[in-house]
Amino acid sequence: MSPVPGSARMEHLAQAVAERVVSIVMDAIDIDALLERIDVDALVSRVDVDSVVSRVDVDKLIDRVDVEKIIERVDVEKIIERVDIDALMEKTELGSIIARSTTGVASEVLDVIRAQGVGLDDFFARWVNRLLRRRPDELPLGPPGLVAPVPAPAELNAGAA
Amino acid sequence: MATTSMAKPVEGRQGHYAGAVSRLVAFAADVGASWGLFSLGAAALAFTIQLVTGSAFSLRSHQIASLVAAAIWEFIYFAYQWALSGKTIGMAVLGIRVVKTDGTPIGARQAILRTLAFPLSFLLLGLGFLGILTTRDRHAWHDRLAGTAVVYSWDARAARLRWLAKQDTGAPA
Repeated sequence: MSPVPGSARMEHLAQAVAERVVSIVMDAIDIDALLERIDVDALVSRVDVDSVVSRVDVDKLIDRVDVEKIIERVDVEKIIERVDIDALMEKTELGSIIARSTTGVASEVLDVIRAQGVGLDDFFARWVNRLLRRRPDELPLGPPGLVAPVPAPAELNAGAA
Repeated sequence: MATTSMAKPVEGRQGHYAGAVSRLVAFAADVGASWGLFSLGAAALAFTIQLVTGSAFSLRSHQIASLVAAAIWEFIYFAYQWALSGKTIGMAVLGIRVVKTDGTPIGARQAILRTLAFPLSFLLLGLGFLGILTTRDRHAWHDRLAGTAVVYSWDARAARLRWLAKQDTGAPA
């Protein structure tokens, strides 16, 4: 029995009133409008991230991660099967770099011969272009399937504009 | 004369039309290689015949047969290599290869056509080769007839990387 007569009833009543009031207030509140008024940036700026991070036990977190289980679930062979090695070699210079990095003096000699050849090619091409009054930038660099076509002068002007 | 030394390697030429000098040097190397191999084969044949029959044999005493054999050998040397990889031994050394005019690899048909048309470029004091210098797409007569082009296949950027790596390590370039 309560020490004050009728206090239990009063408590029940107060409880019921409070619940009803809270329910009415909650219904009346427009949560979206309220959220819009909250300055999230200001709120976040007040959070001490360093302090939060320092409280996280990373080692404990990592201990809980079962790496073996993750690796077991990854089908490495399927991934490798999906890799088109030939396309990779064609699209990148990986193949040629690997192949040529394994050779020594021979590749160096070849580089010199080829570089000299290309230099002489350019030398003669420049003179012939002068004689024929051709602009080198208007000449095609190579077959269309291997190099991008040279843009027409009109296109160049449009690009510059 | 402006030449390119290893101190300043040429970059990014893969797929560009190859010039006259590279093509000429590649051809000279091929002439040397094909004649070297032919002479080796002829010597081996003469030795074998001498071994089997016991009498001395020399191709010099069979000039017409030698000429026919040499012509067939040259045809096989160029056509087979072009059909196989688009490049001969000399072209591989100079870092150039034969492709179709659209840039795709050539097949056996183009390789055979190109080999058969090749002698035509020698006619009229090699006039057919002049197109390598004068035409916009550097085509010789045999290129026009076979629908082919010669491009650089040499990876100059890889060469530059190697050169730069040597500079970094202080190794002699």
